[in-house]
Amino acid sequence: MTFGNPWMLLGALGAFIPLLVHLFDRRRPRPHPFGPMAFVLRSQKRTASRLKLKRLLLYALRTLILLAIPLALARPELSRDAQAAQIVKGPAATAIILDASLSMRWTDGTSLFERGRDEARDALKDLLPEEPATVLVCTSSPATPPPPGFDRARLRGLVDEAKPTYGAADLSRCMEMASRSLEENPMAAKRLVVVSDMAASAFRLEAPPPTVKGPTGAPVKPEVVLRDVAEGREALNNHAIVDLKVEPALQAGPRSFQFTFTVRNFGTEPAKDLEAAVRTGETTLAKGFVDVPAGGTTQKALTVRFPQGGTVVGQVTLASDSLVEDDRRAFVLPVPKALKALVVNGAPHATRYRDEAFFVDAALTAPGSPVEVAVRDSEVGLREDFSAYDLVLLLNVPAPNPEEAARLEAFVENGGGLFLSMGDRVNTEDYNQRLGAVLPRPLRVVRTSAERDTDPEAETKAARLAQVKQEHVLFSPFTGRAEEGLIGARFYRYMLLEADNPASPGASQVLATYEDGAPAVAVMRKGKGRVAMFTSTVDRDWSDFAIRTSFLPLMQRFAAYLTGSLEEREEVRVRVGELVTLRPEGAQKVTAVKAPDGSELPVKEQPDGSVVAGPVLEPGAYSVLGADGKMQPALSFAAMLDPAESDLTRVPQDTLTAYFGEETVKASSGDEDRPTVPLWTWLILAACVAFFFEGTLLRK
Amino acid sequence: MLLDAQTLARLKGVKLRARAVMEGVLSGLHKSPHQGQSVEFAEHKEYAPGDELRHLDWKAYGKFDKYYVKRFEHETNLRSVMVVDASASMGYGSGAMNKLEVATTLAGALCYLLVRQQDAAGLALLTGGKWKDVPPRASAGHLNVLLETLDATAPGGGTDLGSAADHLAEVLPRRSTVIVLSDLLDEKQDALKRVLALRQRKNDVSLFHVVDPAELTFPFDDPTLFLDMEGEGRIEVNPREIKESYLEEFHAFLASVKAACAEADVDYELVRTDEKLDDVLLRYLGRRGRRK
Repeated sequence: MTFGNPWMLLGALGAFIPLLVHLFDRRRPRPHPFGPMAFVLRSQKRTASRLKLKRLLLYALRTLILLAIPLALARPELSRDAQAAQIVKGPAATAIILDASLSMRWTDGTSLFERGRDEARDALKDLLPEEPATVLVCTSSPATPPPPGFDRARLRGLVDEAKPTYGAADLSRCMEMASRSLEENPMAAKRLVVVSDMAASAFRLEAPPPTVKGPTGAPVKPEVVLRDVAEGREALNNHAIVDLKVEPALQAGPRSFQFTFTVRNFGTEPAKDLEAAVRTGETTLAKGFVDVPAGGTTQKALTVRFPQGGTVVGQVTLASDSLVEDDRRAFVLPVPKALKALVVNGAPHATRYRDEAFFVDAALTAPGSPVEVAVRDSEVGLREDFSAYDLVLLLNVPAPNPEEAARLEAFVENGGGLFLSMGDRVNTEDYNQRLGAVLPRPLRVVRTSAERDTDPEAETKAARLAQVKQEHVLFSPFTGRAEEGLIGARFYRYMLLEADNPASPGASQVLATYEDGAPAVAVMRKGKGRVAMFTSTVDRDWSDFAIRTSFLPLMQRFAAYLTGSLEEREEVRVRVGELVTLRPEGAQKVTAVKAPDGSELPVKEQPDGSVVAGPVLEPGAYSVLGADGKMQPALSFAAMLDPAESDLTRVPQDTLTAYFGEETVKASSGDEDRPTVPLWTWLILAACVAFFFEGTLLRK
Repeated sequence: MLLDAQTLARLKGVKLRARAVMEGVLSGLHKSPHQGQSVEFAEHKEYAPGDELRHLDWKAYGKFDKYYVKRFEHETNLRSVMVVDASASMGYGSGAMNKLEVATTLAGALCYLLVRQQDAAGLALLTGGKWKDVPPRASAGHLNVLLETLDATAPGGGTDLGSAADHLAEVLPRRSTVIVLSDLLDEKQDALKRVLALRQRKNDVSLFHVVDPAELTFPFDDPTLFLDMEGEGRIEVNPREIKESYLEEFHAFLASVKAACAEADVDYELVRTDEKLDDVLLRYLGRRGRRK
């Protein structure tokens, strides 16, 4: 306890006045002969005990009044400042480290960061005039602090301008940086003041504690002052969305997606009926509720069907708590547009399952597929206006005439998708001659791996797919058990291709091959469009692939890939504080990347054509602008928080003391922001109350 | 003419004061009751100076060699005795007159009224712990004796109303009127009961309870050393601290006296020493008139 006017304490001697008056007041009472003495005696006896108590109370109240007033005038203040002052005794070069990590955004009306800023200001105020100081705002990428100096205004400015970030902060690293900065000052004593919520994620306790060079050059431990802005709280309760998966939900119809988000409760109490929602702008697309046990994790899936295709920017949200930033997560979702496909059936058949187009038609029109299919025979189909379609599939079709071939080439050049499958009606020479410009590779000859009808061992002899490029977007889902659907298919006959397309060498890409190395799937970009060739049949004539489980999804992915609605880029998963690498394709250009708050990220083009932007400073949807200044949905991305920062588990004071060394650590209350009532006001209040009761007692 | 206490106090002696009060009372009365004489023998009484010689019973003298006087029923219209408490506590007064002065003035005025009506009036004075009797007579000359006796009375000694009542029960014939003027501050618990017991002997008993306003309101502020007027007791108190309790006790005492009187069919009149005494008498006589 400290006193603003200690000499006023002398006034406390006045508390003895009631005692002295009691001892020495010997006023002689006036004698008065009185008749009804018996009544006086009886009254006196009756009230004696009460009067005694009353006199005692009066004595106590008067003593309290005479004690409280001089004490109040002495302006006493309780411990905290006194303790802080005690800490800063003895001049030391001081570095104040202000934690600006995401966890400092936790608020219960006043954010921890606001309290931290006040603590930092107080720490500056508590410094002795001869103590040089510096300030380090600890973020995920902290700037080197200025050398310790005496420009308090500049340091105060640094504290005032500091803002909480959305990223993690490595306090161990920041203390190390601050220690290095302190070494630049010749003063022997060094001090680190850490203003933080003491979240466990901010400390690396496995690393050695910070040291500074001592007078002899040997490392010595600096004095560490811990200003805990969350002091008094055992845990900072928090729940957060720690993961989000968005997957197509074909069973719910075209353009349906399932949002599966993982919710974790980092608190010590179970969270019940938390509202979880998928939103775009102000519109709530889906909503549900989730219960999460204390310290547990729960998944919640919400399905959303988007009315139309295009890139959707939105966010999933969770009922807000004291740290709202991790209760929402943005997403940038390419929703496939409705596609029109022309299926040219080269081998129609009256029996549906023997029809060339039967399985393709069934696959593309399956529930959830955005493809609208028109099936035509060769004669009619090749005369159609291809520009009315997004995709043309030539299934075992005889080679089109030159005019039709030219129209097909123009269709592909203008962005159309062309799918070619082989069969008995495909004439290699005619195809190479008329469709050479759009073929990924020229056709060579049909190879028969096994005669299904005659050879009893045909099934074992039949070719299988051997190498599938699962890293390509077309085959990326076919991993694990899904891959079995691909490699289990038997191919009795298939078309061999030339090594490369002489018209455009290197343009084609083989995505799957048979066991003998012959291409099974080859793709090529042509102008704005894409071509894919499947070297076997899409009915059961040359293979049984059409009845395999992988056929349907692969055909749908062919349709999506060829029309450009299947994103080729991998989902960009970027965390706050990281750099993001964008890979523009074809004519795409990246001129700017805009953060959710409208600011632009630094962009740097790489020699391989990719663009590195960032570091990303806040969570949310980032817009990538092209050369025309318009948003490029295919490159836009969402940044998320580091889930580790949502864990607000605190390091116990004892642990930190043991870590830094008991002889060096000084703890300081972090509750400056709590309204502090100076003690003297309470004393005045006590005196007033005592005065009131004294008057009341006297009147009785 | 109604005289207030201050005015009355300026009159020297009971004679004047009693007369003044009596005149005030008379002017307030509208009729004087007439009582007829009776000759029916009632009892013998030992001769005492002042008794009518014509009622001396010579036959009895012949038998017992002692003088006896014959008494008759309704020999006079009224035979009244004023019992005046002249104990030390009656000497207390915070105003113009003390309690004893008020009591003697009231007694004197009543004597005036009685004698004027040719009723017999006597006195029983308790002073200095002793009794002083003046037997009831109706003669005009007796009035002077009564008033002078009252005038010469000074407060002193303790209060012993109980023994006074016992004494009266012995000497008074039945159906006498006994008027007690006292502050009733008797330490003995049964004093009042014994006074009221006179009523059981067919006496008409009236009680003038004389109190000082200071006793009723306890208007003291400063620390005071209260001294017992009838003993050695003394106590130092802060009157403000005990005032509430004192008033509670004293008013409970007044209420208990009043209730006991009502129960015993005794007229009770609370007399404050600061009020007009003719008012007191008119109030008293009026109430008695209504009763008859």
